[in-house]
Amino acid sequence: MGMHAEEIAEEYPVVAIDSDALDAARLLAEHRLPGIVVTDQTGRPYAVLPASQVVRFIVPGYIQDDPSLAGVLSETVADRAAEKLRGKKVRDVLPEHLYELPTAGAAETLIEVASTMARLRSPLIAVVKDGKLLGVITASRLLAAALEV
Amino acid sequence: MTFLAVAVFLTAYAFIAADRVNKTLVALTGAAAVVILPAISSDDIFYSRQTGIDWDVIFLLLGMMIIVSVLRQTGVFEYVAIWAAKRAKGSPLRIMILLVLVTAVASALLDNVTTVLLIAPVTLLVCDRLEISPTSFLMAEVFSSNIGGAATLVGDPPNIIIASRAGLSFNAFLVHLAPIVVIVTAALIIMLPRLFPGSFTVDPDRVADVMALEEREAIRDRGLLIKCGLVLTAVFAAFMGHSALHLEPSVVALLGAGVLIVISGLERSDYLSGVEWETLLFFAGLFVMVGALVDTGAIATLAKAAADLTGGNAVLTTMGILGVSAPVSGIIDNIPYVATMTPIVAELSTTLPNDLHPDALWWALALGADFGGNLTAVGASANVVMLGIARRAGNPITFWEFTRKGIVVTAVSVACAALYLWLRYFVFG
Repeated sequence: MGMHAEEIAEEYPVVAIDSDALDAARLLAEHRLPGIVVTDQTGRPYAVLPASQVVRFIVPGYIQDDPSLAGVLSETVADRAAEKLRGKKVRDVLPEHLYELPTAGAAETLIEVASTMARLRSPLIAVVKDGKLLGVITASRLLAAALEV
Repeated sequence: MTFLAVAVFLTAYAFIAADRVNKTLVALTGAAAVVILPAISSDDIFYSRQTGIDWDVIFLLLGMMIIVSVLRQTGVFEYVAIWAAKRAKGSPLRIMILLVLVTAVASALLDNVTTVLLIAPVTLLVCDRLEISPTSFLMAEVFSSNIGGAATLVGDPPNIIIASRAGLSFNAFLVHLAPIVVIVTAALIIMLPRLFPGSFTVDPDRVADVMALEEREAIRDRGLLIKCGLVLTAVFAAFMGHSALHLEPSVVALLGAGVLIVISGLERSDYLSGVEWETLLFFAGLFVMVGALVDTGAIATLAKAAADLTGGNAVLTTMGILGVSAPVSGIIDNIPYVATMTPIVAELSTTLPNDLHPDALWWALALGADFGGNLTAVGASANVVMLGIARRAGNPITFWEFTRKGIVVTAVSVACAALYLWLRYFVFG
């Protein structure tokens, strides 16, 4: 593990915090992304929105509270997924506890990046140098580098 | 010493009522203080039936919490609620009435917070399908839960405390309190259209969405449902057969919980999921503090003052207990209130003439404390839980929105209760 974060960071799509949530969901879906970096109004990386969080958002709260109700709905949740996200901004889908941006400094080692990823349970880590986003390390990219696949 | 014990108690009570500090922490700190003083001995705390920790209450609660944890895994409650909503054929008022009835019956058998946690998601689902606001439904269910809980010994924690301290059986609660609970629930149902005007308009197209719900899918594990059904039936049969079996309700609940743990095959995290350890410790702390008040003679003095005030008049004493209990329980938690009142009522009942039905004062205390929970948005734990659910679902209910209606429901319930107590124990008793 002699590599540093900077060397394995990849280019990655980002979305602005006030952009359309449905567009962000489509981006996640089309590229099969595990999550997406959210930037603030000035374009600085701000948070990571995991795809699982968007999935959670389209499941009604009452089903999250009581999973045995999932089966009683005759239509699939997907039918109403777009409806739940329509008119919402990325900000609305992003829970407050995810406001801490999982970042790694450009010079951090793989084990440091892995430790941050595990601690914050984030599917990706933003690699930052001098406040600028260099790229992103996904969990699968990190594993590939660690296992030299 | 009496003065110090009272000072500790009042300070703890003020903290509990202010609800700024964790109430379990307050009760345990108060208990520690009276032990250190010492206003109560360790022998009294652990072994005295009059002044110690009431183990019957603690273990009955623990047993029921475990039984409910297992029952929740079956989905039977969701099945019944959706089935009821479909029987209403999509009419919002009929749906509300049926959900109110389901809640009342469930609250009589389970504790109120559990009932509210079970009924709320189903209600949100049904209202979501109908595209109507769920707030009035959620409020109606809380009212019904606090009323229904009064019907049985296990329906509401104040009843558990009263039963244990007064030595009243499960059947006594059924015979004396269930009739008035039926009457008050009927009154609530009659009031619903006036309490929630404008809540019952629905687009006919949405009704088909409710009728399309498949309640059978809510039952996740049929085997577990059958096992739960058998154990629950046995537990309630044993509650009713208490005098023949000579088994305390606490022992029955613990046996039922134990059998369910063994035969359900559930993981520990599942069967303990509904156990509120903090609540059990809160009860223990309260019992120690109140025990100290009894030991130091403070309770006897208070009871004498109350008896002097009513001049030994049985009707006045009964109505006084009902009339004080309802508003006090509506403002502060009814559990500490009832824990404090039980020794006072026990003292008071010895000062009254023998021709009074011996338990009328206890029923007045139970009805006042249970029905009073509806008075304000913070009057009972179930209210607080339901308001939290409504807020998370994006349909917040404000304190005053709830309290305005709660005052009406409590006034009607307490008026019915007063009439019932008077007729049953003083006119025809």
